[in-house]
Amino acid sequence: MKHISIAIVEPSPIILEGVASIVSHSPSLRVAGAVATLGELQAIMRNTEVDVVVAAVGLVRDIEGVAELQSLPIIGMQSAIVDAAMLRRFTAVATLYTSEEELHRMIIDAADMPAEHNYAESHELSERERDVLVLVARGLTNKEIASELNISPHTVISHRKNIVHKTGIRSVAGLTVYAVLNKFIDSERL
Amino acid sequence: MGSVALSPEMKIYELIDAAPILLSLFSRLDIHLPFGDISIAEMCRRDGYNTQLFMMLCAMHIDSRYRPSQEEMTEDMLPEVIAYLRASHRYYAERMLPHTARHLEEVLSHCDDLSERVLRRFYDDYAHYIKSHFEEEEREIFTLMERGGERDANFALFDMPHADIDDRSNDIASLIVKSLPESAPTSLRCDMLKDVYELRDDLRRHSNIETYVLRPLVVKYLKQR
Repeated sequence: MKHISIAIVEPSPIILEGVASIVSHSPSLRVAGAVATLGELQAIMRNTEVDVVVAAVGLVRDIEGVAELQSLPIIGMQSAIVDAAMLRRFTAVATLYTSEEELHRMIIDAADMPAEHNYAESHELSERERDVLVLVARGLTNKEIASELNISPHTVISHRKNIVHKTGIRSVAGLTVYAVLNKFIDSERL
Repeated sequence: MGSVALSPEMKIYELIDAAPILLSLFSRLDIHLPFGDISIAEMCRRDGYNTQLFMMLCAMHIDSRYRPSQEEMTEDMLPEVIAYLRASHRYYAERMLPHTARHLEEVLSHCDDLSERVLRRFYDDYAHYIKSHFEEEEREIFTLMERGGERDANFALFDMPHADIDDRSNDIASLIVKSLPESAPTSLRCDMLKDVYELRDDLRRHSNIETYVLRPLVVKYLKQR
């Protein structure tokens, strides 16, 4: 059986040792390295194949600058309160209260995730999503939007989820302001 | 922040030094400065606060994940919790919301007419929504309990507004960060964002106190009636 190879990067020694120990309890997982900095992680990755990285959520911005990590699934290790937008950048997020079984499952699932799930993800709205956004801003219901664009209500819901994910804006009022500020719509049409 | 250990003997200046975030709690409770050398217990005795409840509120401000246990809460805390929440509502309406609005106006003065108009309307609606929600809570729960709780309080009514307020707070932050025209200077934008995040986090703590302190106390009170 092929092991899933894990690298852990976490500045807190307590968390680092804890995650490494929990990962090593699973027969299908193998710790390729447990280090405190991204520099050390890069050194490990030059010599060892790594399938999944577990990284402190606080490192998110620095991770974006490391080319080797862009194609890998990364599980965020959250030990403090952070903005939800930061967490969205990870394939999955574990906390200090995640159980051993959950963490194993998270890593195994992450190993199968396509890499584009990670940082390279575009936050630009597609043309269709813009169409939906404009109609949301004009106050149309999902059913009305579906009929206007000749798509199913289910597809409208899926577009709306993507719009919320990409813009970080949830309320209809907020989406309307977003549409105006980005000039997708002029206020006379509201 | 989560590692501050609270005890009734702790000096107030030590408490504030360890967690300056508590200054806003002192401000809304209108606790008089200076504190000199007094401890938490002494201050609570002086100002007529329940020490256990005061420490609970401090703990919930310091660590938003902190949840008090049922055993910590006693029915006699209810009037004081309601008084605190009323004071907190006033603090938002009279201090935090107008303060954030002033910073928003500074940002808007650098924007084109259209951006100015839509953002001001969004913020005004947001502030209005929060204030109406407070009024409804005061009417439907606080006053009801103060009059002796002649009928059950419908807390479920407030789950949705709490989530809505949190969404809208995040939306304002996202709009200012991502979409506000470049003409607004970064320093003003940052001042405004600091206010928005502070307001959002404070409202989350407030909502936690309502959910994890007020609600169980009301349930306890109604059971024993």
